[in-house]
Amino acid sequence: MNSIIIDGMSFSLPLFIIAIGGIYSESGGITNLALEGLLGFGAFCGGLTVALIEQFFPSGSAIPMYLAMLTAMIGGSVYASLHGLLCINFRANQVISGVVINILALSLTAFLANQINASWFGKTSNKFMLAVSPRVDIPVISKIPVLGAFFTSVYPYEFIIVVVALVAWYILYKTPTGLRLRACGDNPHAVDAAGGNVAAIRYGAVLTSGALSGLGGMCFAYSISTNFSPSIFMGFGYLSISALIFGNWKILPTLGTCLLFGFARSGGYVLINTLGLPSSFSDLVLTLPYVLTLILLIFFSKANQPPRALGEVYDKGKR
Amino acid sequence: MGKKHQRMKKIMVKTMGNESYQGITVALFCIFLSLLAGAVLLLALGKNPLLAYKSILQGAGLWAKPRYAGHRSIITDFMSLLNYVTPMLFASLSVALALRCGLFNICVSGMMIFSGFTASVLIGYSDLSSWLAKPLVILIGIIAGGLIGVLIGFLKHRFNTNEVVSSIMLNYIIAYVSSFFIQTRFIDPVTRQSMKINEAARLTLTDTVVGNLKMDIPLLLPIGILIVAGLAFLLKRTKLGFDLKAVGMNPKASRYAGINVGRTMVTAMALSGVFAGLAGVTYFLGTFASLQPKVLPDTGFDAIAVALLGNQSPFGCLLASLLVMTINNGTTYMSSKLGVLREIASLITSILLLVSACSGFIRYLVNKYKQELEENRKEEDSLEETKL
Repeated sequence: MNSIIIDGMSFSLPLFIIAIGGIYSESGGITNLALEGLLGFGAFCGGLTVALIEQFFPSGSAIPMYLAMLTAMIGGSVYASLHGLLCINFRANQVISGVVINILALSLTAFLANQINASWFGKTSNKFMLAVSPRVDIPVISKIPVLGAFFTSVYPYEFIIVVVALVAWYILYKTPTGLRLRACGDNPHAVDAAGGNVAAIRYGAVLTSGALSGLGGMCFAYSISTNFSPSIFMGFGYLSISALIFGNWKILPTLGTCLLFGFARSGGYVLINTLGLPSSFSDLVLTLPYVLTLILLIFFSKANQPPRALGEVYDKGKR
Repeated sequence: MGKKHQRMKKIMVKTMGNESYQGITVALFCIFLSLLAGAVLLLALGKNPLLAYKSILQGAGLWAKPRYAGHRSIITDFMSLLNYVTPMLFASLSVALALRCGLFNICVSGMMIFSGFTASVLIGYSDLSSWLAKPLVILIGIIAGGLIGVLIGFLKHRFNTNEVVSSIMLNYIIAYVSSFFIQTRFIDPVTRQSMKINEAARLTLTDTVVGNLKMDIPLLLPIGILIVAGLAFLLKRTKLGFDLKAVGMNPKASRYAGINVGRTMVTAMALSGVFAGLAGVTYFLGTFASLQPKVLPDTGFDAIAVALLGNQSPFGCLLASLLVMTINNGTTYMSSKLGVLREIASLITSILLLVSACSGFIRYLVNKYKQELEENRKEEDSLEETKL
């Protein structure tokens, strides 16, 4: 039971922060299928940072990890500006642009990782190794039965994610900036008439989504593989998109969906262990979140209300 | 500065201004831009880009290599290129047809695995004679792909599920479930892939002796070219094709015009699935003879690029898939000859993809410049008239 909660949380929270990134972008009216590429590129930047600076710190130091998360956020948003450029300035189809950016991310990171490893570090590999992230038990609270598992062997990034998510929630729903951003997704002409700059606000939304996805990608790199390699492109970005669609483009319901995905996944692994099935069954467990998404989408898509101007190029002359 | 700008505008209008050829000229412009970007990249790595592009052509069998091994020549290289083009052609047709109807099918990879896996399991390991096995493989490919297509189309029509999300979910579900069966039942312990299928069921004749050459012959390429022509006819001259394009442009207006939008969408997805299924069987039971567990074939995603580059038209897809597979196939030779990483092929392809995603914008720019220039000319004319 404990391991379901521990593993579930460490999977759901990165998924959640990526989904928040998606909510920002889509609330601003830009369809963002590029989350997958953004998280991968962010993780690449973070992994590269670790590979470059690790030697300057004593082994076991946690500073490279935090720096990696910072550069992952920066890298993610720089890469996201490409999506902004294509969707906002170049009037490309936003769905196509997103997919293109994902494909580019995969080939670009694979190429760069190989090239950098070969020419700077003299290795033939497409990986950047990361140190194993420490895990913390919170004293006292972690001793509570069942609920204590939420506070046992927690990755440090989970705290960061919770804080960032709270800030993101506050900004989106409680500040004028957030209101304008959401208005850009529902009625950009109104924003324009009220004196707001639609393109700038949308750029802000896309860059934010890049930063949050980069952070999430770095967390996945630490928790799932403890390295950066092109296998980070496992479809988690797409999974978080379905989480946010199922969460009806709102942050709190999306948290629920992400937790559901996480617990379905970790629960499946535990089930296989307790039944003593061979490890090949893990493939079937891995499908659980996807199957669940598909079924849930079938039942709830009718009631979904995406932002009204989602996916449309903003054209001043159009009414 | 202003003059330079003017000249650039004039060149762009002159080369791409004619709207009836814009599909071709803009695509060529995209190719030119991305090859330029690739050249810059190669220069940055300290390689000669012209030599690199030449060796790509040599590797793909479009330019003679200095030396060939026994039973090999430029023709064998070219046939091997065609062998890789065939699945890409079907896959890009699948994407293009769905795009024409306003649907974005990224499930091509999943459909390919599904049809390839089903056909391998049902026919690939049986000892049917090749006259029976090959048509059955094709039939199973068509049915398997079509079924997934119908499923996605039906979910979209009946439950309003976003087809992009549902197709991505299906991609992963298919990949993992088939991987489970491959790893428990059909695994080859040496290669870690599924067991090789029997040659009788294979849609490519491998190492066939023709003259004194040994070459691979893709059997489905002629059918693919026929389908290209058929699809062009369907889109241009039939009611279904008209409905398809109308729904793609504006589903609401089509509903008012009395087109059954749901049925058209499901039909489009079914056809798209059929092509993807054909791509799957030609890929997994033709170009290759086994499946790699848990890996979604790149073809399904590259096909999006190909379809975009080909301007979503059947003939465009044929040309674009030739181009993209030339880059892909020739890179092995280039990387061994120049010592460049193999990954650069997919990088150039994705830059091509990025540029062709902007092709609508390029078109918009060119037409805007054209109007500007015409207005300028009119102004000049009227000025001269007043002078006179």
